[in-house]
Amino acid sequence: MNFIRQFLGILRVSLSGVTERVGSVLTIIIGIACSVGVLVSMLALGTGAREQEAGDARPDRVVLNSAGAQGIQSSIPREEAAVTLNLPHIKKDANGEPIVVLESFVPSEGNRRVTGNRIFLPLIGITANVTAYLPEMQFTRGRMFQRGLHELIASNPCARQFTGFEMGDRRSIHGIDWTIVGHFDQGRSQQCAVFADVDTIMSTFSRNTYSQVLMMLQSPADYDAIREALQVNPTLHLEARREREAAEEQFKVLNSLFSFVSYFIGTIMAVGATLGSVNSLYAIVDARLRELATLRAIGFGSAPIVASILCESILLALPGALLGVVLAWALFNGLSVSPFGYNFQLKVTPSLAVLGVAWALGMGVLGGLLPALRAARVPVTTALRAG
Amino acid sequence: MRFLPLIWSGIWRKPGRTILIFLQVSVAFALFGMLQGLKTGVEHLIAEARADLLIVHSRVGFFAASLPLGMLEQIKSLPGVNVVNPVELFGGIYQKTTQQVGIVAVRPDEDWTSAFTFVIAPEYLDAFRKNRTGALARAELARKYGWKVGDHVPLKTNVAQLSGSKDWTFEIVGTFTDKDIGGGNDNILINFAYLDEARLLGKGTVQHFNVAVSDPKLAMTVADEIDRRFANSPNETRSESLREMAQSNLQAIGDLNFLIRAIVGAVLVALLFATATMMMQSIRERTPELAVLKTVGFTNRRVFALVLIEAVVVCVAAAALGLALATLVFPFAARIVHGLSMPWVIVAVGLAYAVLVALISAAVPAMQAARLKVATALAKH
Repeated sequence: MNFIRQFLGILRVSLSGVTERVGSVLTIIIGIACSVGVLVSMLALGTGAREQEAGDARPDRVVLNSAGAQGIQSSIPREEAAVTLNLPHIKKDANGEPIVVLESFVPSEGNRRVTGNRIFLPLIGITANVTAYLPEMQFTRGRMFQRGLHELIASNPCARQFTGFEMGDRRSIHGIDWTIVGHFDQGRSQQCAVFADVDTIMSTFSRNTYSQVLMMLQSPADYDAIREALQVNPTLHLEARREREAAEEQFKVLNSLFSFVSYFIGTIMAVGATLGSVNSLYAIVDARLRELATLRAIGFGSAPIVASILCESILLALPGALLGVVLAWALFNGLSVSPFGYNFQLKVTPSLAVLGVAWALGMGVLGGLLPALRAARVPVTTALRAG
Repeated sequence: MRFLPLIWSGIWRKPGRTILIFLQVSVAFALFGMLQGLKTGVEHLIAEARADLLIVHSRVGFFAASLPLGMLEQIKSLPGVNVVNPVELFGGIYQKTTQQVGIVAVRPDEDWTSAFTFVIAPEYLDAFRKNRTGALARAELARKYGWKVGDHVPLKTNVAQLSGSKDWTFEIVGTFTDKDIGGGNDNILINFAYLDEARLLGKGTVQHFNVAVSDPKLAMTVADEIDRRFANSPNETRSESLREMAQSNLQAIGDLNFLIRAIVGAVLVALLFATATMMMQSIRERTPELAVLKTVGFTNRRVFALVLIEAVVVCVAAAALGLALATLVFPFAARIVHGLSMPWVIVAVGLAYAVLVALISAAVPAMQAARLKVATALAKH
């Protein structure tokens, strides 16, 4: 009881003096705000990328690759792809056909609107029933490509980021002119996607294998059954993964790189900010050394003094953390970036905000520890004589 | 000179505080050096990459398809083209699967080196031309496995010889170094003619052509000309200069420029506040001492300078330590981005920023110190 009374008493005195020590207080708040702001905005890159890649993922969608491969290395022979159409548990579309989408990737390129740089873009040959598999795919202009024609459809981000993707534009691919006949949105995705008829692509590029097979299940619970069905069929050498897992696997390296860089820079900044707040708190304690010594002389314990200074440090760290989170959100939330050829928006989520505040609390405790101990340790007589 | 001891004692008046602020400035400039150094270092690398050297490969992809050797003469006949050399790339394994070696087959005819970024001693160049099964090893690679001139190096590959065997043996005839950032570290050069004759499949095809252009300014035009020449043919090409390739490979870092700028900005702002408060506290505590200095004849300007110099000394020393720490990171970064090093301009800019931070943060306290009225200052205590 006594501890709490003393603790609250000292804390009240401490906080009432905040206005007199604007410099020290601002140093702590701004240092921590900058550190938390940087950490949160860097992590927002990773969150944005993750949301982008798996945000539209549904548990009833499954991606099949050739065993042990993924992305561009995967190749599925026509015969195997044909068998997948007859697998059980696959949802049927309006015409009673199984929703199985065949894809074949070929490399292609686009010219950045702003810089004019040529960058790699996959051209995806796909079956037209992709609209049943991707209900979030909505045509904003034009129509679907027609089978057998050299027609392309492009997602809206393509037209925004690259030249030559406007409606009616012709692109020369493999010596043939392809016409853009449709624009579409693809859920939350900001990634440029270019689709063409898969058979046309495969005959143009003389390919005999698909890159991957996508299928929609009757219910998410059928996932194990489909894996089982793939395993027992000796003619199939395919591996099934849920859409989310497939996407995450593909972005694993990028995500771990983002996390590493975020925490690396975040830690360095935190060390800097903590040093700054140690310095400021020392100054605050020094200024009150006499007052604190007086308190101890009249019977206040060391513990409430240590606790109250730690608490003050944390209370100063909190507004810094909030300021940092707000700044990160205001400056960077929703900003589009395209590192490594992936396009996504930074996302400052509530969980990132919580993380930022926790990080700041850590800095507050570490930063307050030494000054608090000093306040409690200085011999009463020395402190009273000083100043 | 009489100033120095005064500055020194000023700095060490409260060692704890000075050490803390010193560390804080060091940390800030270490971060500055790393981020800004990486960004500028990458920009330097792009600028240094040769613009007059074109890589002509299949439009379908860099490794996805090969080109017929016959295209060489057609490319050579185009205006602005100086030297064309066929290049075939494949991988080999030396003794263990973890020891991968990149095999680069080239045609060592006259002037061939101008179409590459390799630096080769004349005697090695000569030996390489004369020995059909000879190979030049990148100096780092030769050192790594202890290869000497005259050694026969067996490599397991996935390219079959006429006999069906996929094992190739090359005689090391010398070493080379590579100025380019794109090329791998563990490469050897072999004779294209020998490879093409000895291999079972893919005879008469190459993975790409290296084309040296007479004038870097013409490079883009020549590249477009080559691509147009083979457009609508079964072997459509894509020609890009080494600089363009470096640009697109390293684009990623450029795309994050705004973040780097924001971080560096945040670091400097936070630092400014910290040093400014520290200086103000320091001056407030030292009011009587400064007043004494004035009493013994220090002019206002001198006191002003004293305070400023003190801040500059601490900041610059700390920044130097921070930048030195940042430089230590670069050898590690160079493993990922070959050839990356700390640009000295960033060290200079960093030190200039340190001076700036010191001057800005100490300006107000120094002014207060200079304006100090001796009588009031001494009376207060």
